[in-house]
Amino acid sequence: MDLVDWLFGPFSLPFIARPMIVMAVLAIAVGIASVLVTLRSLQFVGDGLVHAVFPGIVVGFAIAGRDGLLVGGMVAAALGAIVLTLIGRRALGNDSAIALVLTVMFAVGIIIVSRQSNYVGQLEELLFGRLLTVTESDVTVTAAVSLLALLAMLAVARTQLFRAHDERAALAAGHRVLASDLVLAVAVALLIVVATAAVGNLLALGLLIVPGALARLVTDRLVLLVPIAIGAGLLASGAGLWLAYRASVDWAVPLPGGASVIATLVVLYLVTLGLRQLRPQKERASAFDRRAFDRSALVRA
Amino acid sequence: MPATDVTTPGSLTEPGVAVRADGATFRYGADEPVATGVTLTVSPGEALALIGPNGAGKSTVILGLLGLTTLHSGHLSVLGRTPAAARGSIGFVPQSLSLDPQFPVSLEQVVAMGRYRRLGWRWPGRADRNAVRRALQRVGLESLRHRRFGMLSGGQQQRGLLARALVSDPPLMVLDEPFNGLDQTNREALLDIVRELKASGVAFVISTHDLDLARAVCDSVLLINGKQIAVGPTDDVLTLGNLELTFAGHQVEVDEHTVVVPPHEGHA
Amino acid sequence: MTALTLSTVVSIGFFERALIEAVLAGALAGLVGTLVVLRKRAFFTTALTHATFPGAMVAAVMGFSVVVGSAVFSVLLVALMTAIARFRGQGGQVAAGVVLTFGFALGAILQAANPSLPISVESFLVGSILTVDAADIALTAVVLAIAALVLAVRGRHIIFATVDDLGYRAAGYRAWVAEALTVALIAATVVAIMPAIGAILAIALIVGPAAAARLLVTSTTAVFALAPVIGALAGVIGVVLSRELAVSAGGAITLVVAALVVVAAGAQRLGVVRWRRDEATNLAT
Repeated sequence: MDLVDWLFGPFSLPFIARPMIVMAVLAIAVGIASVLVTLRSLQFVGDGLVHAVFPGIVVGFAIAGRDGLLVGGMVAAALGAIVLTLIGRRALGNDSAIALVLTVMFAVGIIIVSRQSNYVGQLEELLFGRLLTVTESDVTVTAAVSLLALLAMLAVARTQLFRAHDERAALAAGHRVLASDLVLAVAVALLIVVATAAVGNLLALGLLIVPGALARLVTDRLVLLVPIAIGAGLLASGAGLWLAYRASVDWAVPLPGGASVIATLVVLYLVTLGLRQLRPQKERASAFDRRAFDRSALVRA
Repeated sequence: MPATDVTTPGSLTEPGVAVRADGATFRYGADEPVATGVTLTVSPGEALALIGPNGAGKSTVILGLLGLTTLHSGHLSVLGRTPAAARGSIGFVPQSLSLDPQFPVSLEQVVAMGRYRRLGWRWPGRADRNAVRRALQRVGLESLRHRRFGMLSGGQQQRGLLARALVSDPPLMVLDEPFNGLDQTNREALLDIVRELKASGVAFVISTHDLDLARAVCDSVLLINGKQIAVGPTDDVLTLGNLELTFAGHQVEVDEHTVVVPPHEGHA
Repeated sequence: MTALTLSTVVSIGFFERALIEAVLAGALAGLVGTLVVLRKRAFFTTALTHATFPGAMVAAVMGFSVVVGSAVFSVLLVALMTAIARFRGQGGQVAAGVVLTFGFALGAILQAANPSLPISVESFLVGSILTVDAADIALTAVVLAIAALVLAVRGRHIIFATVDDLGYRAAGYRAWVAEALTVALIAATVVAIMPAIGAILAIALIVGPAAAARLLVTSTTAVFALAPVIGALAGVIGVVLSRELAVSAGGAITLVVAALVVVAAGAQRLGVVRWRRDEATNLAT
């Protein structure tokens, strides 16, 4: 078997090709979301959304299996997005409120799951996904939802960029900041739902946070952020799936596809971090940078 | 000339007045009012300086003009409308140190943001790119347009933010402490730009504790310390007596252009 | 005393043990949770709770104490988060998110590679308070005692450093000590209460009681006193409810915490709690 075959052979197999298509779609859509999340410092809100869709997914799954998962998830996603965005506008105890909301939502999901008979198995699938067994319809649904979310994000991208840099000036210039925030939150929430179906609820957060953070490490030029974020997602997806295949075929270790992709993504990030450390610092981080930059306190109206 | 902004509905109902306030009182959300008894008039081509110690309500009034703090009582109209309705026709220039210096945008991109509202859904065309370039030229920063915004000096950032406000041709400009920490060159540059804009009919409200700025470029002054102390033409209002009332307990030297204001205990 | 207490604990039933652990874990979580809320470290703590999961798994796989595995891993994670946060454009949220995700991915991989794990993965995630043993209870009690001691001795410093960072440094104190103490207490708490409530739900027990207490009383000392009480109460009620309604104990405790926060918020809004003046700003932000 030659090198090309060794590297790319697995991707001709349908049970690797389908996950790769799903991950490619997600890499693009969630990559863009990740850049917006990075610019807006919404990582914790993202965590909140991830946990908040869990009960919706659980209820949907319990009622109607995998199809119900998506519907239930999206309903919970929309609600969670609205609640978390509105909480985020208050300067008081912001992060504690998010932590509470996300955990409570998660607990509701846990309780519902604990009343089911196949408790442990269901929990594992919901938490860690089953990337390697995605179906044709999964691919279609993922693509459709991702496209919708993508359009929504493109629609609000300018306002979000302006408002991420200078919220008050964006408001003063007449931008509808709250509406735009809500649209972004709902778009991200929808993406989290389809990402959950692929890599599991808890790992979906990785797709939302890491690509943007990695891109930000590599460059401070705005136009390069999105391509780098998408590239990182694609690379991690390919490498992760490949590793999962090799591990299973060559070493008889059934690596879960989702965990493999996400772990690869984080390793990619850490390597980038290491490389940055080796390069001479162009500028030192100032005290301003190190202080927690609390944007929510800027506009108290 | 201030362009009548074609994307904003309505027009000035009082063509001669850019901002009018009458006994206005402002507060943050549900808190106690922090700026009371504000009465002022600013006409096109005029500049009003808002002067007072830290924590005395300057920012509250400034944000009130933008509709970002609540009008508790009294009357306020901005460009003949409520502050919320006037948004989009106001150029707001905050202090550059309120912005994240690491944010990955270039100077040109920051200035272009001022044009976003007008763009709506379309892709930027030649007119938009020219407006950005003109604004950059006006503040003398065209050669630095590709540099990351946070890497510019404080003074350059202030000028950059001014360009961002200019790019949409607003009839009213609101500046929050624009001269803090600026060196002489940048001060002069900023003053020149303000004078030019005034001459073309733009109205200004500028919060500051720099009396030299007030004298150099402002037609009227409003003194505030929690409540309004005095308002009127610059020379009439900037008397030692008024300043002592405003900065009670602080060092005041009327001959020096900068008023030294020690941190005000207990206020945000 | 120790031998007597432990043998007593060992001999009583699992439900009673669960109740004791609920009281201790709830109190500990409430106490240290006040620090988390004051110093605004909820995401950091969430990341720590989630990411100690693989540490516990490694320990389970290698056959030594889950507590030790979690503790060692949490130290590594804190170091990693601190390192990441220093890089340009990254910051605390990115660090927490990366670490949280990595921890979970590692845990999932470890679990897949070791299907014959003696301990259930699920109990790591949502806790299994009904199967805590004497060692778990002892650990929780010890950490609670240490936390109470540290706060009694250094609490003033930590609060000062939190409320007025510049003033603290100007007064000649080293702010990193307060930070290090806080982080150490949080990590120890997370490790101690994991058997009771698991990696995912722990943050609610940590943050909730303190948030509720803040809504009811004004002085910081009062919050430190009230939060453990609320936490213990939530623990006990949750365990009882889980038995009555046959649902997950961890889930029940979390929902009770949420209910208590809502009640506190309602009481505050209705002005029932009269001694709460509107000096919300001394604890807020």
